[in-house]
Amino acid sequence: MTVTLFDQFLSPTLFKMPLIAIALVSPWLLHHVVTTRFSSERLLSVKKVSVSALTKHIFQPLGPLGHKWALMFVSLFMFLITLNVLGLLPYTFTPTTQLSLTFSLALPLWLATVLIGFRLDPTRALAHMLPQGTPPLLIPVLIIIETISVMIRPLALAVRLMANLTAGHLLIHLISTGVFLLTSMMPMTAILALALLGLLTLLEIAVAVIQAYVFVLLLSLYLLENV
Amino acid sequence: MLSRLVLLSASSLKGSGPIGAGVVQATRCLRTSSQSLAPVPPLPEEGGKVRHGIFPEEFFQLLYPKTGVTGPYMLGTGLLCYLLSKEIYIVNHETIYALTIGGIIVYCVKKFGPGFAEFADKIYEEQLAKAEAAKESSISILAKSIEAEKKEQWRVEGRGLLFDAKRNNVAMLLETNMRERLHMVTNEVKRRLDYQIALQNLHRRMQQEHMINWVEKSVVSSITPQQEKESIAKCIADLKALAKTSQAQAAA
Repeated sequence: MTVTLFDQFLSPTLFKMPLIAIALVSPWLLHHVVTTRFSSERLLSVKKVSVSALTKHIFQPLGPLGHKWALMFVSLFMFLITLNVLGLLPYTFTPTTQLSLTFSLALPLWLATVLIGFRLDPTRALAHMLPQGTPPLLIPVLIIIETISVMIRPLALAVRLMANLTAGHLLIHLISTGVFLLTSMMPMTAILALALLGLLTLLEIAVAVIQAYVFVLLLSLYLLENV
Repeated sequence: MLSRLVLLSASSLKGSGPIGAGVVQATRCLRTSSQSLAPVPPLPEEGGKVRHGIFPEEFFQLLYPKTGVTGPYMLGTGLLCYLLSKEIYIVNHETIYALTIGGIIVYCVKKFGPGFAEFADKIYEEQLAKAEAAKESSISILAKSIEAEKKEQWRVEGRGLLFDAKRNNVAMLLETNMRERLHMVTNEVKRRLDYQIALQNLHRRMQQEHMINWVEKSVVSSITPQQEKESIAKCIADLKALAKTSQAQAAA
């Protein structure tokens, strides 16, 4: 069971059978089934409170048209945060390190926001290309720049999530390899590297939560522009 | 959590294929939870007891009769040594990372666990308090309305007394009014009679005075001057005589 640096990013297989479906679905087993009980146990009640707080926070600026996306965004957030945080355990596979997953989440959702904007109010959607108060000389340049920035959004969303998680995992593996190899040669350096590893792990936990939140927040902002 | 996986697969197995129904019947003796959903079975108050945070207490109880208290620990140590020596589990950089994140998780659970549990319990307490408050408020509203109803019934009993008092009041007012009127009538009649009396008295007095005046006038006019001189001379002689007698009396 030698683990190289790149094994963590391979899509899991068992005797050449792909296990990616199980990898994507099994985190849902950790979430409670919605009950009709009056009061639930501790984890579920805290989860209910935090999910409702998140929903209110994200959907307050959006109008009633945007509230239709509530289920979509909140379930997306729960999906991403579960995958990210579970991926921090050793020997686990994090599906969000695959660009295929993040891009296939980002592109349709971004495209949906753009199309909704053009469908509801094409003038206003096009007007986003030109911020208010630009000097007339800059208008052609700015139009091109703004169009490019809108077009690059799905790639940016996908790559942001993927790169953050991949970089984090890679760093963790590199530093823990360093600690492992240094314990025999230079123990003091190994202890320093271990301290660094501890801090990095804390950072990675934060990054895992924040990246999921940022993904959903940016999508809600794109929706706010266009709805 | 894993029981959910079991439930999902079991419910799909039940309907499938020729052995599905047979499996359902054959495994009936192995089922431990209640097989009906109503009344809803209560949630247990405490979670399952675990030792060292992960291992369920039932495992230790299972091994206790045969291997005593140290049995499970020996099993764990032996298993670990077996995995390591046979190189089924290889120590590599992931082990370092596993130790690191294991330490972080244990530290977080130990530090923030009680706070988290308190927060969750507070949420539950608030929910319960809200439901209790709703129940209490509706109970108190109903009790107040019962009190009000009883008071109304008591008031209805007193209605007869109220009417009697009112009747008495009215009778007294009528009586007073009648007496006032009688009084007034009496006064008026007396005034009129007094007027008549005064009128008669006036008449009599006027008649008297008139008669006296007439008599005086006729007497005065009947006195002749001769008579007047005679009466004056007589008066002077009487006075002289009187003066002489009084002088004599005074000298004596």
